[in-house]
Amino acid sequence: MRGKVRDLSFFLSPMIIMVFLFYLIPLVMTVYISMTRMRNWNVDRYLTEFVGLYNYDRLFYMFQHDPTFKAVVLTTLVFVGITLMINVFGGLALALATFFINEKSASSYRLLWLLPRMSPIAVYSLVWYYFFHGSEIGTLNSVLMHLGLISEPIPWGQVIPWGAWSIIIFVNGLVGVSFGMIVFTSALNQIPRELVVAARVDGASSWQISRRILIPMIKWHLLYVLTWQFLSLLTTYPHLFLLVQWDLVNRDYGTTLALYVFNTAFGRGEQDQGLAAAAAVILSIIGIIGGFVTLKVLKFERMMRRPRGDF
Amino acid sequence: MRDVEARPKRYEWLILLALLLASLPLIVGFSLLMLSSFSTEMVTNLDPGSFHFTLENWINLFQGKIATTGGIRVNIWRITLNTLIVALGVAGVVTLTSTMAGYSLSRIDFKGRKTMMVLLLVLHAFPGVALIVGVYLLYRLTFPESTDFVGLYSFLYVILARAALEIPMSIWLMKGFFDTVPWEFEWSGIIDGASRITVWRKIMLPLIKPGILSVALFAFLAGWQDIIYVRTFLIYQTLATFIEANIEAEYSHMPLIAAAGTFYLLPTIIFFLTAQKLLLQGYSGGIKG
Repeated sequence: MRGKVRDLSFFLSPMIIMVFLFYLIPLVMTVYISMTRMRNWNVDRYLTEFVGLYNYDRLFYMFQHDPTFKAVVLTTLVFVGITLMINVFGGLALALATFFINEKSASSYRLLWLLPRMSPIAVYSLVWYYFFHGSEIGTLNSVLMHLGLISEPIPWGQVIPWGAWSIIIFVNGLVGVSFGMIVFTSALNQIPRELVVAARVDGASSWQISRRILIPMIKWHLLYVLTWQFLSLLTTYPHLFLLVQWDLVNRDYGTTLALYVFNTAFGRGEQDQGLAAAAAVILSIIGIIGGFVTLKVLKFERMMRRPRGDF
Repeated sequence: MRDVEARPKRYEWLILLALLLASLPLIVGFSLLMLSSFSTEMVTNLDPGSFHFTLENWINLFQGKIATTGGIRVNIWRITLNTLIVALGVAGVVTLTSTMAGYSLSRIDFKGRKTMMVLLLVLHAFPGVALIVGVYLLYRLTFPESTDFVGLYSFLYVILARAALEIPMSIWLMKGFFDTVPWEFEWSGIIDGASRITVWRKIMLPLIKPGILSVALFAFLAGWQDIIYVRTFLIYQTLATFIEANIEAEYSHMPLIAAAGTFYLLPTIIFFLTAQKLLLQGYSGGIKG
């Protein structure tokens, strides 16, 4: 028994130290900062200036009256909603499409669609910076002008709200679809092939096979990707950061709440960490509730059997 | 299994064409960037006239001459080294932590094991942005007084903080790999009187090499591509912050930045060509999008 305690403390200590240092302590600190007047990281001056729920009041007031903040909230809702749909159904479409073609082309396409996820964020942003650039050097503008569809270059990212929204949804959507694609592909590969072959022999088309056999059999995975991507989209911002930083998209209508937190705490100009922390706490509460709902809905606990390797 | 035997071949080209059309922006975007790095001016508007082949961007990049006029110089090798240190550090910390914790979660039954695993899943879903304010405060409060250690400290901190984000999912992934190893392998070692630690090191780790490799690969890429953490915590420049800073700089020569971007993309391309299988199998739950 003592041996077990020794083993466990050996194997688990790195993880416990990391979780303690970089999740637990920062979480407490964030909650604390949200109740101080911290600004410009002036730790010496503001760390002990406790103001209670003042920052939360300010957020609530901004939510009611500040058009900039209203734009951020609206952008978050639209961004999460539409990108989620693109991620889930785009991933499903890619997985199904590559399911019905020869293996060699299928794996090249899957690799290609992993590119957004694998490439460095700065390079990825650079690619779309030129693609959507508002002048005639922008690829999209140039293509449309060559086709004669537009005569003047359109500053896509500054057309609010839908121009800016389209760009951030497009750029982030491409990163997200590969997640769904991989999960669905592995789920499809686990379906007994007899089912598909039998349906083929009976004369079913690819479309019918997808609708009647494949999609119903990967329902759990659909739910999993949906909830997981919802949480991710709500809280990730690195892919949006540079697009806003480089003024490719409008500052207000290209900023989601997660990016707003980061820019308020670390961005250019006036930094207001107290306010940022308060917004972060609200995001965390949504995230934690969402996380537990996910666990319950997906019945993750069933996946956790007792380990075999113990005695 | 895949739909191969009875599938009609007639419509295959239609699906292929649709996939190609959908992938077009991706292909065009990345190709134009790489093409521009070999050109005297940016080739972004599909105008073949703007492409004049040159190697000058790459030569200037490696010599650190980032502007065509004036004497602005950077040491690109130093910047690359910084990026590499962060990426390798993240890969090392994540791999070590997850092989250790993954083993005990897979093989040892103890009180609180289930709770710990649920907690790890929740941690992965936990918003990284909610942490960064607190993580930065911890960074400021523990910042060393003596200037000798500032550089070392900022490297260490950015590596640990970035690795922490990858750890929950990597542990789950690693646990999955340990689960696939038949229990008998380990049993024989324990019968012979070896401790769990010896068994882990001598028997289990060699058996799950592919798993370790894929966790390390993804952790490396996570550290390599990061921009938020390096720009917040690291006092030195990496390739990401170099590109960020030079997009808006008046003096920078854009094809040279395209070359820097292509250079920055190299590890990704190398992994694409060599580790396709690991990438495709891989990490279905690991990275956020």
